[in-house]
Amino acid sequence: MIKINKTKLQDAGAKYVFIVCACMSIIAVFGIIGYILYASIPAFRDIGVFNFLFGTLWNHGLEDSDKWDITQIYGILPMFVNSIIVTVMSVAIGGTIAVFTACFMVFWCPDKFHLRYAGKNKMIAKIVSWINQINLRAFFDQIIKLLAGIPSVIYGYFGLSVIVPILSSLNNGNTGLGILACSLVLAVMILPTVASLSKNALESVPQHYMEGALALGNTKAQAAFNVVLPAARSGVISALILGIGRAVGETMAVNMVSGGRALFPEGLFSYIRTLTTNIVMEMSEAGVGSTLESALFATGFVLLVLVLIINLSINLVPKEFKGKRGNKVLKGDAGAKIVFRKKGIVPEVLKYVAVACGAFIAFTLLYLIAFVLVSGIPHITWNFLFGESTLMSPTLLPSFISTGYTILIALAIALPFGVGAAIYLSEYSKPGSKVVSVIRTFIDTLAGIPSIIFGLFGYLLFATLLGGRCTLAGAFTMVLVILPTIIRSTEESLRAVPMSLREASYGLGAGKFRTIFKIVLPNAFAGIATATVLSIGRIVGESAALVYSAGMLRTTVPNALNPMNMAPTLTVFLYMCWAEPVAANPVTGAAEIGLNQAYATAVVLLVITFLLNLIVFFIEKSVKKKR
Amino acid sequence: MFSFRKKDTQTDKDVRSDRKKQNKQAGGNGLDLFDFSGDVAISVRDVDLYYGNFQALKKISMDIPKHQITAMIGPSGCGKSTLLKTLNRMNDLVEGCRVEGEIRIGDKNIYARDMDLSALRKNVGMVFQKPNPFPMSVYDNICYAPRTFGIHAKAALDEIVERSLRQAAMWDELKDRLNKSALGLSGGQQQRLCIARALAVQPEIILMDEPTSALDPISTGKIEELCLSLRDSVTIVIVTHNMQQAARIADKTAFFLLGEMVEYGDTEQIFSAPKDKRCEDYITGRFG
Ligand SMILES: Nc1ncnc2c1ncn2[C@@H]1O[C@H](COP(=O)(O)OP(=O)(O)OP(=O)(O)O)[C@@H](O)[C@H]1O
Ligand SMILES: [Mg+2]
Repeated sequence: MIKINKTKLQDAGAKYVFIVCACMSIIAVFGIIGYILYASIPAFRDIGVFNFLFGTLWNHGLEDSDKWDITQIYGILPMFVNSIIVTVMSVAIGGTIAVFTACFMVFWCPDKFHLRYAGKNKMIAKIVSWINQINLRAFFDQIIKLLAGIPSVIYGYFGLSVIVPILSSLNNGNTGLGILACSLVLAVMILPTVASLSKNALESVPQHYMEGALALGNTKAQAAFNVVLPAARSGVISALILGIGRAVGETMAVNMVSGGRALFPEGLFSYIRTLTTNIVMEMSEAGVGSTLESALFATGFVLLVLVLIINLSINLVPKEFKGKRGNKVLKGDAGAKIVFRKKGIVPEVLKYVAVACGAFIAFTLLYLIAFVLVSGIPHITWNFLFGESTLMSPTLLPSFISTGYTILIALAIALPFGVGAAIYLSEYSKPGSKVVSVIRTFIDTLAGIPSIIFGLFGYLLFATLLGGRCTLAGAFTMVLVILPTIIRSTEESLRAVPMSLREASYGLGAGKFRTIFKIVLPNAFAGIATATVLSIGRIVGESAALVYSAGMLRTTVPNALNPMNMAPTLTVFLYMCWAEPVAANPVTGAAEIGLNQAYATAVVLLVITFLLNLIVFFIEKSVKKKR
Repeated sequence: MFSFRKKDTQTDKDVRSDRKKQNKQAGGNGLDLFDFSGDVAISVRDVDLYYGNFQALKKISMDIPKHQITAMIGPSGCGKSTLLKTLNRMNDLVEGCRVEGEIRIGDKNIYARDMDLSALRKNVGMVFQKPNPFPMSVYDNICYAPRTFGIHAKAALDEIVERSLRQAAMWDELKDRLNKSALGLSGGQQQRLCIARALAVQPEIILMDEPTSALDPISTGKIEELCLSLRDSVTIVIVTHNMQQAARIADKTAFFLLGEMVEYGDTEQIFSAPKDKRCEDYITGRFG
């Protein structure tokens, strides 16, 4: 008797624990919105909402001037406009390439290369046969995943060192920084998101649409572009919207190639400042409690609202075609001349565009990797990696330590909450329940919030609570960043556990709690492992969320060992190489030292990213084998 | 020194490379390369078909008469669908599928290297087991194929839509909902719409693979009626598991077993006096 009661109690108690976990995302979203709004209030009050939103001048340096009033010098309209322009341009370029790449991957990517080599050179023959063995489809999947995993700061460097010089030569040798550079860098950055989601959408179109079109005499290209792509419309549009959200919120890479002037753009090479970069550029100058600081939080609030609107608009995309408006009345002509002709050169051309886009993405990634490796490897030394770190010659050792701390602490908190939330969603919720759809909306919302906003929130809450920016505050901030990934990936794998296993367990008299922990969770292990690795990747690559919560300060190893101190993670260190290059070496020149260190650090980050991707690849492979 | 070799079975490339040649041959549009003046619409000669190492069709030979309904029956897995798909080369999509022998349609060997797949499939339409209207309006579904074959004039499209729907006996049902999504129609309506969609490009032959197996008896009846009414203008080849259906509508019936064609003849004869014992067993239901 007593035993049964205990089980019941356990089951009932567990349920509430899981519900609390699931509500974390809701609390987080409201917390973030609330805190940032609260911190913006002084600005809105002192400057005036209208002046703030529609003012065209931003120059806090005029605050002390007699001629200017505080209400005139904090206008974010130029930044708002710049954000919109950059986003539109990057999505137009990157989104198009991404959708075509998705088409390429789904319709035309061959399984393997079919190169033939007729010559006698054994080396070349070997290389050719080796190339022919590559599974191209898997290769492209990995390319997209790698592109998605590369830290945004590395894209910033890629923009600075590759894209900007090219643009500069197009601009008659003048600077290549500015609005076009931002758009191109962003275009590359949103590629993987849009491409992989569009690919999913295309793959979920039933095969019989393709067959139907082919049976009507279509070529594959006609069927692909006239039937399958339109059928995947809602998924592709959602992918593009997520790309827009991503582009609006991206901070660090844009900051590095933007030029940074808070003015309306005049041409493709105008220096600009966007909403996100406005925050990064001036935060370090803002005194605690100053109008500037509040105005920057208010900028963040505007950004947050913009992103929320964009991401929520995904729900407005109609899921399936419902027909057109009105009634069609035919005005046919019985004598109309009907001559069927061979037509349709357009889809055939688009097919080659798709192939070209696929090749372009592969080329971009390989080039980026090669570029980073070539620039960075010569500067990797044992001392730079693991030597004693001083302010004048910092090494990566403190960053390894703080990255490790951040990963451990963030996972230690986020994993239990995330897995708990996933358990609630998959094991306790009824299908189609309102509560679940609300929770899910909040999880998606949390996932869509830009890193810089997390950074502001972490600064406001955790850094304040802990008495200043520090590694621990950064780790707490990262908990919120990785929570959605963990929940989603875990929930997916929980749902993949066959119902029959649960029934078998219940059939043996086990309670729900026992079933979940002894049967369901162990079977979902791979999914949780994937979630963990993805989260590590996210933490390693993060910069914007950390600079204001964990701080940006070069430090020594003993300092880094205490998580209550500031110490940059690897990516933040990489960012600092650009933002605050080590000064004052009159012989070699300061900035160059920064750049060399930067590429050495980027190599380390790329290797980590690559390894993490490899781990996910093997986990997923082993799961596939089991099924 | 390097060369690309494409082992692609779907031959878009062939299609295009030979398009010009055919345009000349056929005096313009490249689509009317078939000559359907004879009595035989499809002539199958010694066809063997392999999926990898597995032989799914063994030495099939049959003549399918023009403007008649020919039914293919036989137990599951005997190769009916496979044979049907070889007739408009939909099996080109199947990896590792290989066809030997000759199939002549409208006096052209459709497995010739220079066969134009678009032209073939325009003339040999297909209706699938599961209705597969596109997620578009009724109107756009029917206009889909005409549009890809270069017809964009509104008057012409309207004309085609009305003609196709009337031919498919759906005009009265659908004329007021041409702008509605085709996915909102009932299963039976969707299947007839698919037939209308195939009719829009005026094919000579329509292949149907168990077109009624997913439908209720009333919808089934309508489709059977439709087949009978189309007989004057198109040749229909229909695969069915429903023997009454074959008996009701087919002029000719072929019985298949394990990849072989066991018996082929007039439907009346097949059902009343089958020559082959295995065929008799199947028809009388004594067969697994
Ligand atoms: N894509 C394929 N790859 C390999 N084998 C196949 C493929 N499609 C069909 N087969 C095999 O070829 C044989 C004939 O299949 P087919 O689909 O033509 O049978 P069917 O007569 O249409 O059967 P059913 O009445 O069940 O539709 C079967 O043994 C089947 O397993
Ligand atoms: Mg079949």
